[in-house]
Amino acid sequence: MNLLASGFFGKRKRSAQSRAVFLRRNGPIIMVYAFILLLVLIGITQSERFFTERNLTNVARQSAFLGLVALGQMLVILTAGIDLSVGSLVKVSILVSAIVMNGESANVLPAIIATLGLGVLVGLIHGFLINELRIAPFIVTLASLVILRGIGLTISSSPVGKASREVMMFYVQKIGPIPIIAWMFFLLIVLTMLLLRFTVFGKYLYAVGGNIEVARLSGVPIKAVRYGVYVLCSLTAAVTGLLWLSRMGVGDPAIGDGIELQTITAVIIGGTSLFGGRASVLGTLGGVLLLGITANLLVMLGVNQFIQGLIQGVIIVAAVALYKQEGD
Amino acid sequence: MSEFILEMRNISKSFAGVQALKDVSIRCRPGLVYGLVGENGAGKSTLMKILAGAYSADAGEITYKGERRDQASTAEIIASGISIIYQELALVGQMSVAENIFLGREPRHALGILNLPELHARSAVLLKRLGIELDLDLPVSELTIAQQQLVEIAKALSQHADLIVMDEPSAILAGSELDQLFEIIQNLVEQGVTIIYISHRLEEVFRIADEVTVLKDGELVATRPIGELDRATLVEYMVGRPLDEVFPQTEHEQGELVLAAKDLATDTILDGVSLELYAGEILGIAGMVGSGRTELARALFGADPLTGGSIELVDKGASAWGSPAQAIGAGLVLAPEDRKAHGLFTTLSVRINVSIPILSTLTRLGVLKRRAEDQVVREAQERLSIVMSSPDQETQFLSGGNQQKVVLAKWLSTDPAVIILDEPTRGVDVGAKFEIYRLMRQLNDRGIAIVMISSELPEIIGMSDRIMVMNDGRVAGELTRDEAGEARIIELATLGAAEAGQS
Repeated sequence: MNLLASGFFGKRKRSAQSRAVFLRRNGPIIMVYAFILLLVLIGITQSERFFTERNLTNVARQSAFLGLVALGQMLVILTAGIDLSVGSLVKVSILVSAIVMNGESANVLPAIIATLGLGVLVGLIHGFLINELRIAPFIVTLASLVILRGIGLTISSSPVGKASREVMMFYVQKIGPIPIIAWMFFLLIVLTMLLLRFTVFGKYLYAVGGNIEVARLSGVPIKAVRYGVYVLCSLTAAVTGLLWLSRMGVGDPAIGDGIELQTITAVIIGGTSLFGGRASVLGTLGGVLLLGITANLLVMLGVNQFIQGLIQGVIIVAAVALYKQEGD
Repeated sequence: MSEFILEMRNISKSFAGVQALKDVSIRCRPGLVYGLVGENGAGKSTLMKILAGAYSADAGEITYKGERRDQASTAEIIASGISIIYQELALVGQMSVAENIFLGREPRHALGILNLPELHARSAVLLKRLGIELDLDLPVSELTIAQQQLVEIAKALSQHADLIVMDEPSAILAGSELDQLFEIIQNLVEQGVTIIYISHRLEEVFRIADEVTVLKDGELVATRPIGELDRATLVEYMVGRPLDEVFPQTEHEQGELVLAAKDLATDTILDGVSLELYAGEILGIAGMVGSGRTELARALFGADPLTGGSIELVDKGASAWGSPAQAIGAGLVLAPEDRKAHGLFTTLSVRINVSIPILSTLTRLGVLKRRAEDQVVREAQERLSIVMSSPDQETQFLSGGNQQKVVLAKWLSTDPAVIILDEPTRGVDVGAKFEIYRLMRQLNDRGIAIVMISSELPEIIGMSDRIMVMNDGRVAGELTRDEAGEARIIELATLGAAEAGQS
């Protein structure tokens, strides 16, 4: 028991100093959750519709949509990279999956394989350009954002294809009171935590982001790590495209725009450094929930939706200012 | 006006409850060189940062040029004639020498248009005053580190500095560059400039300083004129105990051939370097900065591609590795010169820094065995007596000596046959230095061959079994320990093989 406790949760009894370090490192994340709690309290007291099963289910699903990609984005940012293409990839994914599926149950598996294959391919291309041609991740994925969006709109500028019945049912299915899509997000959170804590690949992500030259001189296979992380990130976008199909029922080319910035926002609010080498899964979850609940609450309170952007901007600046204080 | 240009009285400073400086006083007369020495963490940098206005003291007062100085901004302090040249040089790489010297204070016409002729003329005057020649239009990124440091000094002079603090200037210099720096310091002092010279290297303090102040654990230990001090006393002040300052020796027969490199060449500078390395020995590599020492280390390690030549690790039968990963696998590792840029993940934990090269062997079904990793880290900590608060401490918060031990621990965990140490004791305090020397000998006893690159000649001569001197990308000569003297090494390093042979 004692061993388990020290191995998994760190030392049981924290010294005053380590408590201070813990607070210094995690203080801002705690503040993010405190802020979420505050929003929830505002919601409960100010709106009758907020704290209903129906609305909370909604928030959970919406957070899951953003959260899956945010986790992929976080892993990329942990390596001091960035993936601007995820929104466009979600768009192409929903179109491809809808067209391949075309409303037929028999086509569900081919559609899933095609979409995930697309994700792997896009991730490999990113890895290739970054590793072999040494182009900065920002540039590579910016180009990819534009190209994929172009491909998406070339495929169709109006809704195409169709989800099968089961796929549409998937969106509303629940296990217990919680939508299955939220369970997926939860599962991915746990897997990501395990990945970062207990796998060599996870440690290599920190190493590459901490200092890529030191990583190379320490024998870390940096190319493989970067191929891996961009494939993982693209896969989260492809999966999210499939989930959007289950929600929309058709391949809607309007889906996906802006997801890249929202995920980056969530990751930053969660305390992951854009310079790499530092990441927090719980922080990213906090960032996702904060964005999701804010958006939901503003709708509930009848606030003009254009003001939502303004408020999100303020949240980003406030969060980053908070993390900056931690450095001093 | 007082006879002192600077007086810092009873300065105290604490950070989050840790007393970094306690009641420290120093004073400086114009036109003298003051050595400021002490181990890492002794408070030298804190004291100088208070002088520079980067920190404010909790207690105490500063009098500069006869006036009591209150809290002042960095800009005001520079304007008052205090310049600090940090180890990490603050130059803009893409800008020219002249632009860097006058950065932020460019001579200008009306409407803010640069007055380039004036910029050049004034820069030229400054360089002349320093007695150095540099192309004013060259981007500073094209200069050697030593030349960049001179640009910093010129910049200080352009700000009419009367007091220049040099924070370990020699850490990045070698041999003749150091002589040039000392000449310049001498020159400045004759012009009435006061120098505070921070250094780990006692030889330099004895060569250059008029008076020495020793700090230990944030307290002033002693301030003495250099004439009243000898080396042993100074070390004792710094360490707080008498130090057995003898290079540890081992008696051993020459071992088996471990590594043979032939005619190595690279794009950078190496031009036909060959060397052989035997089990259990230390091969010292001397030479100026820029002579190809570091490039040789990187080439051996597979960090830079070879354009010619061959490397073979004899008993493993391994040869021609193209990457550090392969070199590590073959049993050859490198502890690099620039620890922070190439050796350590400064923002990551001691744990991952130590385990990173062997992580993939510490897994079961792809899952990291945390207890095995902890075991590796604990053993490393005990074996090298690394001082840290926990394995999760970020390495940036360790002292230089402990950082170097972490780098060594990382490589020892891979069980190497050959270790290349590039400047193993740079930025390491005296106590930890001798621990590292002893560790090197222990590794020798286990049959590990060591290549040690160093700018410190006493270290090279004291530790090496054989010494190879490099010059301009080639081997200028090889000396046995008995043949090697500082003069002979410097001769080879500066003149190269041919000329040194004739003289």
